[in-house]
Amino acid sequence: MQTTTPSRQPLHRLISVVAALGSSVLLIFLLAPIAQLVTRGGVSGIRAVGVDADLRGALLLTALTATGATLFGILAGTPLAYFLARTRSRAAGAIAAVLDLPLLIPHPVAGIALLLVLGRESVAGSWLLKAGLGVVGTPLGIIAAMLFVSAPLYVSGAREAFARVDRRFEGVARTLGDRPIRVMRRVTLPLALRGLVASGVVMWARAVSEFGAIVILTYNPKTVSVLSYDRFTTFGLSEAIPAAAALVLFALIPLIVLRLLRYERRLDQPW
Amino acid sequence: MIGVRNLGARVGAFHLRDITFDVPTGRYGVVIGPAGSGKTTLLEAIAGLTPLVSGDVSLGSRAVTREPPEERGIGIVYQHGYLFPHLSVGENINYGAANTMPAAQEVTRRLGIVELVDRHVQSLSGGERQLVALARALARRPPVVLLDEPFSALDPKRRALARREVRALHREWGFTALQVTHDFTEAGLLGDVAILLDAGRVLQYGAPDEVFRRPATPYIAEFLGAENVLAGTVRVLQDAPPDFITGDATPGTLVPADLAAGYHALEFEAAALKIYTVGSAASGSAYAVIRAEEVSIARTAPATSARNVFRGRIMELSTLGALARVALDVDGTPLVAALTARSADELALREGEEVWASFKALAVHLC
Repeated sequence: MQTTTPSRQPLHRLISVVAALGSSVLLIFLLAPIAQLVTRGGVSGIRAVGVDADLRGALLLTALTATGATLFGILAGTPLAYFLARTRSRAAGAIAAVLDLPLLIPHPVAGIALLLVLGRESVAGSWLLKAGLGVVGTPLGIIAAMLFVSAPLYVSGAREAFARVDRRFEGVARTLGDRPIRVMRRVTLPLALRGLVASGVVMWARAVSEFGAIVILTYNPKTVSVLSYDRFTTFGLSEAIPAAAALVLFALIPLIVLRLLRYERRLDQPW
Repeated sequence: MIGVRNLGARVGAFHLRDITFDVPTGRYGVVIGPAGSGKTTLLEAIAGLTPLVSGDVSLGSRAVTREPPEERGIGIVYQHGYLFPHLSVGENINYGAANTMPAAQEVTRRLGIVELVDRHVQSLSGGERQLVALARALARRPPVVLLDEPFSALDPKRRALARREVRALHREWGFTALQVTHDFTEAGLLGDVAILLDAGRVLQYGAPDEVFRRPATPYIAEFLGAENVLAGTVRVLQDAPPDFITGDATPGTLVPADLAAGYHALEFEAAALKIYTVGSAASGSAYAVIRAEEVSIARTAPATSARNVFRGRIMELSTLGALARVALDVDGTPLVAALTARSADELALREGEEVWASFKALAVHLC
């Protein structure tokens, strides 16, 4: 058994005190601005949702575009995440690394990059425009910006969720007569579901809070984040607070969903 | 039939190499090997769950090397069950048995797990999970069943019941089985064919009795639990008469039929021990393998037909359950005997005492 010698006890105590102090300062630093914002603007924010049509519209637009981006991310990202979880090749490793790039670059830069690919002057952008799908200055642009910055979070989380499903479950299901697609439906997806839903919620939350890429691609119509910024630059801090507080309260929804998911019964353990 | 030819497979840094064996249709094969020898990988390669890098697999009369697992007609049972945690026990058993529900019900009844069907798998013990996994694999009545230590988590009573029922179903339904086990007793009880696997290679395969009694190398002998593996020199006794060993036709006697099979009388010398046996070995260096249970112990010089009789001192006496292990020193050479604890009590054996050890000529295997 390991014992602590008396001479080391003061040092251990000092380290514990410093660690506790550091943690407390960080916690206060993270929570104080949000608490201050909700305290000062929470009630006015909720009231503003009732009376401020612009804020209501921005909230609705944010919810719809974030949901659209998330649904697209789930549909396209789930097969990719499964491929990355089940493939051990250099190509898969390279794809996984590239997928992290949108998370690393500054978001206005992401917006500029998207503008280059989806702007009116670009090949893809002009095709989309001909098809009646304008990107710049439209909700589609917001969805594209949200998708770009938040889909990697979903793919990464979903890949982890699939990786946690032991492939022997799938092997057993195949020996029991199921083809791979049926195995996916009957075994893999149910076992990975909790992780997939959690990843989807994280993606949605990230999409809701996006500003930098959206503001480059679509300043109008305004999402809540753009509206807060717009009011801050136009009218000052006090006018920006209700919209900002409403956005914080809005962001509580995924937080609550994630908490609920955490308390759900674990389904991804091998039995 | 499970036919495996020159099979090679790779999982990470581990390789299965040049695996070849057959388990005839309707027979029960057992794969024995230490942990990490590739037993589970072998089953998965046969099932099509691990890709082959070389070789072929045939099941029944079909070459299935390029067929996906769902078309091979196999059932697999893992040691840890791998029951689907989002389904109930009943849903697990019926998972692939939509067209074989009577079989699913029968196997559930015979394995004694009817009362578990409505339970959730998280509430099962390790042994219960193994029984449910067995039922799930057998419920489809697959022509080939692959079993990876399927009884390891069962208590002795349930293990005996499960073994008996699986063996009975095997006979009645006629499936071909291949089971991985660490348990030599289980291998002897269940197996028609034993396959010894070590470090990804087949060391030996054949009838279990043959493999146990005639290990191909001293390593295999020791792996199979033979405690007397002696290095020495063989000398062919060219002029030995047919009744060289005992002069009569009791077991251990070199009889004309043995001679016709190419056997001859042999003398094996290991340090101070001179052991007489029969076999087809040529003169030269070899190892003699004598299983401890073949060595008898007596207080007085035995009036036995056994040709090999030695006087030795008991160095160690240990009892494990119903068996006693007696380690002797015979003129500087160690010799181990295994007898029942009751026999050891009746002989009133004590460490340090001198006793007589004897074994038949045919109890000696040279390799």
